Amino acid sequence: MARVLPLAERRGSILVASYVAVSVLLLLVGDRLPQSALRGAGTVLFAPLDRWVLAGERLAAAWRENGELHRRLAALELESSRLRSLGAEDQRLRQQLGLPGHHDPALKPVEILALSGEPMPVAAILSAGRHQGLHLGDAVVTSDGLVGRISEVYAFSSRVALLTDPNAPVACEVESTGVLGIVRCMPALEPTLMLTTVPFADTVRVGERVWTSGLSRRYPRGIPVGRVIRVGADPNGLTQAIVLAPAARLSRLRHVFVIPGPAPLEATP
Amino acid sequence: MRAAVALLVGIVVVLLLRSTALAAFASHGIVLDVLAFATVVWALRHGEAWGASFGFALGLAADLDAAHWLGRHALALTLVGYVTGRLASTLVRESTRTQLVLVLAATAVHQAWTAAFDAGGFPAWPTLLLARVVVGPIVTALSGALVLAAVRRASGRPLFANVSIQPGQPL
Repeated sequence: MARVLPLAERRGSILVASYVAVSVLLLLVGDRLPQSALRGAGTVLFAPLDRWVLAGERLAAAWRENGELHRRLAALELESSRLRSLGAEDQRLRQQLGLPGHHDPALKPVEILALSGEPMPVAAILSAGRHQGLHLGDAVVTSDGLVGRISEVYAFSSRVALLTDPNAPVACEVESTGVLGIVRCMPALEPTLMLTTVPFADTVRVGERVWTSGLSRRYPRGIPVGRVIRVGADPNGLTQAIVLAPAARLSRLRHVFVIPGPAPLEATP
Repeated sequence: MRAAVALLVGIVVVLLLRSTALAAFASHGIVLDVLAFATVVWALRHGEAWGASFGFALGLAADLDAAHWLGRHALALTLVGYVTGRLASTLVRESTRTQLVLVLAATAVHQAWTAAFDAGGFPAWPTLLLARVVVGPIVTALSGALVLAAVRRASGRPLFANVSIQPGQPL
């Protein structure tokens, strides 16, 4: 067959056959390749371009956000003074009961350079990396709530596995009742954030807030994760199927804060 | 050499578009398959060998970005580029209808293939198929044809070479 084809077509066919063979080979053994290093190199190349492309859009957004932030600042100043007095009262009571005090987590502001994944983003590239003091497993939040955790760290950038990544579950509890569960994204149909492993004996109501339980070392306790919007039964009938609306707007991320973990993830037991 | 540089620039532009401007659409459920669209345009303009090369390189870069299933986009886009490039020599490439149908078919094939890796189980298929393999390709084809028509009108000349000897036109 190849002998009857013109030279150019023969070359084209051989080229395509090579591409197909390489693609199939990658599908079969791609998991064994050092993908993280390749992605790191790609991020280094693309980070300046992403910044350049986003500059105009971010400038306009910053202008709008500035007005909104002034309004929120005034409201938060009032709330802050109220919370300071409540905090002092809480400290006094904890001292009397012999309980340890609270520690505010340190927040490192970083910029989002790119989002990847369709239809919902499942990963984001941050503008800071190892040289800025970020570590694998650090929690990533916005003022609204939890965004995800750092899954890969490069020299000057890093990759975040968002809550929408099915492979990034979070140990959580319901704010008002303390019911424990695992929040994970279900990829089937359209991606849905669900509070799983909650038995029928526990009562969970629509509208209740869910935050991190602190049972995993990755996330400090009390970071808002979402709000219950639907409660039903799991298809297997063993546990409840609780659907959450994420607290953070995962599709409109521009800036986030990184909470340094207690220790690098590799060192955690 | 110039062609290789153009290919690299094309890939970078497509990936930047995908991770910035189009990511906002995707988050609202509107999947514009810029990978399939760019591969079709490249194959229409440069033929099957360059179409397949562009599809393979673009797909490989998209696979690395997605973090799972290396080779998934590369395989589908290689075949899309090759088939479109082969068809390009027998079609009226400047025709908006031709472009619409080609982008529609290429996007449907690409989305069907990639959706097969994303579906969690059989119950998810009807909704996933509707969103990814029906709605996505229609939106991509319509907006792609509009973009090509707008670029053609703005530049004032045909986008694809050899338009003067297309079938149906006097030599």
